[in-house]
Amino acid sequence: MALDKDRRAFLRTAAKLGLSAGALVIFEQACSQVDSPSRSSSVLATPQSRVNPTPQPRVTPTAQPRVTPTRQPRVTPTRQPRVTPTAQPRVTSTPVAYPTATPRIVPDPVVESTATAEPTVISTPHVTTPAPDDSSITDQRVRMGHLLRRAGFGASRQEIDRFLDMGEEKTVSFLLEYDQVDDSDVDMRLAALNLDPLDHSLKDLQRMALIRMIYTQRPLQEKMVLFWHGLLTSGYKKVGRGPYMLNQDELFRRHALSPYDGLLKAVAKDPAMMIWLDSRVNKKNKPNENFARELMELFSMGVGTFTEFDVKEAARSFTGWSLRKKEFFFEENQHDFGQKTFLGITGNHDGTDIVDIVMGQPITSQFISGKLFEFFAYENPEQEVLAELASTFNATGYSIKAVVEKILTSDEFYSKKAYRAKIKSPAELVAGTVRTLGIETHANNFGSNYVTPMGQELFNPFDVSGWPEGGEWINSSTLLNRLNFVNAVSKGNKRAFDYDLVTSLKSNNIKSTEEAVDYLLDLCLDSVVPDQERAVFVGYLNGLVGGDNSVNALNKSRLGSLMYLVMSSPDYQLG
Amino acid sequence: MLISRRNFLKSSAVLVPTFASLPLVFRRAVASSIVESGTHTTAYPTSPYPDRTLVVLQMAGGNDGLNTVIPFTDSRYYDHRSYLAVPGEDVLDLDGEVGLHPVLDKMKLLWDEGLLAIVQGVGYPNQSYSHFESMHVWQTADNDGNLNEGWLGRYFRELEGMEGSALPGLAVGRRTTPYECSAVDAPMSVVQNINRYRLAGSNKQRSEALMKLYGGSSLTTPYGVLLDNTLESVYKSSEALQNANKNYKSQIEYPDTSLGKSLKVLSAAIIGGLGVKVGHVTIGGFDTHSDQIVEQPDLLREVSEALYAFYQDLKAANKDQDVLVMTWSEFGRRVKSNGSGGTDHGAAAPMFLLGSPVVGGIYGERPDLRNLDKDNLRFTTDFRAVYSTILEQWLGASSEAVLGSERFDPIPLLAVS
Repeated sequence: MALDKDRRAFLRTAAKLGLSAGALVIFEQACSQVDSPSRSSSVLATPQSRVNPTPQPRVTPTAQPRVTPTRQPRVTPTRQPRVTPTAQPRVTSTPVAYPTATPRIVPDPVVESTATAEPTVISTPHVTTPAPDDSSITDQRVRMGHLLRRAGFGASRQEIDRFLDMGEEKTVSFLLEYDQVDDSDVDMRLAALNLDPLDHSLKDLQRMALIRMIYTQRPLQEKMVLFWHGLLTSGYKKVGRGPYMLNQDELFRRHALSPYDGLLKAVAKDPAMMIWLDSRVNKKNKPNENFARELMELFSMGVGTFTEFDVKEAARSFTGWSLRKKEFFFEENQHDFGQKTFLGITGNHDGTDIVDIVMGQPITSQFISGKLFEFFAYENPEQEVLAELASTFNATGYSIKAVVEKILTSDEFYSKKAYRAKIKSPAELVAGTVRTLGIETHANNFGSNYVTPMGQELFNPFDVSGWPEGGEWINSSTLLNRLNFVNAVSKGNKRAFDYDLVTSLKSNNIKSTEEAVDYLLDLCLDSVVPDQERAVFVGYLNGLVGGDNSVNALNKSRLGSLMYLVMSSPDYQLG
Repeated sequence: MLISRRNFLKSSAVLVPTFASLPLVFRRAVASSIVESGTHTTAYPTSPYPDRTLVVLQMAGGNDGLNTVIPFTDSRYYDHRSYLAVPGEDVLDLDGEVGLHPVLDKMKLLWDEGLLAIVQGVGYPNQSYSHFESMHVWQTADNDGNLNEGWLGRYFRELEGMEGSALPGLAVGRRTTPYECSAVDAPMSVVQNINRYRLAGSNKQRSEALMKLYGGSSLTTPYGVLLDNTLESVYKSSEALQNANKNYKSQIEYPDTSLGKSLKVLSAAIIGGLGVKVGHVTIGGFDTHSDQIVEQPDLLREVSEALYAFYQDLKAANKDQDVLVMTWSEFGRRVKSNGSGGTDHGAAAPMFLLGSPVVGGIYGERPDLRNLDKDNLRFTTDFRAVYSTILEQWLGASSEAVLGSERFDPIPLLAVS
């Protein structure tokens, strides 16, 4: 990224956040630190192979204790210049209208591109060892497809076309400034389900979440809700029925891009979390360590960055945070008002102080930046990328929005290394498929029929660590259920998956089997498909039609079979 | 119709330009077909005990060992545990010193028949109190957390000659591959629900086209090998398991719990002769920070009843001599109970080894309640000694090859060579 463009991005962010002049200086310093020495050389120097079939050299197992149990001198957390949380002026420009799904008339760009018969944009040589490639994706349509999958749940062709007209930069700010976007359509869809608003079953909760992912006009907000649900997780099996899980979901939606300290403090008082991690029973002289430990290990600092003593002192600080009538309640006589020493800082801490101290730890900015980057871009980010994001986080008063914006405008995000570098999570696969095809559905039982069997029981993760990551999504059971989901979609049962591919093809002027293949490859795979793979699709479809390669041979069943193959392909499992 | 990838490869040159460019699983398949034709030899070790199965039962969340194998003759237990302590008269006495929690009555029946070995005080140096870090230690058998493959995954990697086996590794009832069984190309199948474990709408043309896609382009993606291997496992294992399950007629009634259902599927695969080397089942919920007096007994009962039915089933099919069960949990719990009717994360805890191959009894030294390590039990047996026992004496594998250079002597708890 050119330095000037980078700085402009910083300044734009700063202006949006209403930063003071002093903070801007820090921004600029961060900018120059990142820009010299040349970032590209150091990024290139560290190709970390993710799939490593050879065993790593062993360290003798007895050699080193993992975490030194004795206390280490800590760096006193220095306070970063803070932006007052309320100082986030709305962008004053005119609200952006969401691109509506107006049918395209003429001409169709995909048909044009098939005419040139070169759909492969990323020309990876067919048989090579994958090497991290930090050069950028150049094709605008591919970049847009990538952005909308990662910062949302994919897009139909009409959506992609409209966003392309808008341009990449405006699309990113459209995604970020979601509170300017009218999302009443999804609210009406949810209201039409007539679900009990006070007492939702797991099935209802999953259905509502999937409908939002599929039909929201604020895809980044829903994507962040999924992110927080995975990171600051709670689960139905322990929290139980009642308003709890839905309220937590709403909390994540409200705080989707809020500064992290505020979100953590809200989550610490969220009844679902207080049940899930036992804070409601954490009492004076009877501390319960569950929340205190996971606050540090899972939510902010990571394992091995604190001591057992810190866990105990943090637990004491949160005593008395309790529930009454299903709401947060401070039970004063159960709070331990004694002195605590937490991460080297002594005082009469309460839970809010603990969150503040945690936020001041340098490791926290690295931790949360890393989580966000891995969620949006790719695993194992380079140290300098993390450092840059962490400094953004600290310099903006722990702004999640600033970090996300920085990620979504970074060269790394649009690098070939990031492209298809992640396995789609089940929710992404299901919501994304429905959204991409423009399917009408009430998503009834989509959770229990599709998403859960693929390994993601929304609102009910297996344990406190939230969702699996990367390769953990793929095993024989989950892959089988991915294929079976795609099979159900390809059959196009009207009650569950209402769409009409035959008509779509005709209205897009598709004339041959080969053009039909290219249409689907554009829709599902950004047309980024090696020639050999494309040949498999064409050969398969031509085998089905038995000689007649014209549009007349393309009935629902044959197109469904082709679609099954496209969506079952390894590339489609990657996002 | 079971499509063999090897046959497919033999009959098709599409997308298979050169031998060297194939992913590992392909190379092996092709290599072994060369072996068959006598032009190449291989030094891959095969299992000396091809009929034996290890079943691993993970008790996730950190099971409270003190309330599982209870030192009911030690007054300190009652001092520390207040109302969570199980009264001595309720404990199922094993040796006059320790006894089982009363809900483990079915386990007690196995004990009475000499089918239950208990290893006391199992743990490792520098205990981690994080669920995930400690699980990682147990699963990789690496105290430093450097290894990124599970110990049984490494065992699989060393093992060859499994082409004839439809299900060398089978995990039932969970959604992810158990980390202890993971390696880049470990032949694990994961079955969450047997009724759903079949491919819908599959036909020959489509399956062949799909295999070409998986064998081809995915070579260039980071997850290509994983996706390739997994697709092969989907095809091989789903049909084999459905057939085995159809032919499986058990007279034993399993408890209607998720663990009971999982073990029943595992039993169908073992009895059906699908070549299961390692089976894996999981039960979660042992992280009893509160309400332990309600929650832990339910979970222990589920374990006890399901394992008892599993053993009876294998015995009726005359397979009990070939199956060894091992339970583990990432840690025990704090000796002193907390104020919320629960216990926080702790350290050493007992392990169960169960089945006809064991010599029933109590092994290892009971941790001393007078000599705690910051409120936690000190471990007396390294868990890797148990792994070493299983690797060397049950699976016939080299424990050094799997566990590394540090030697852990086997514990003499198996009635086998």
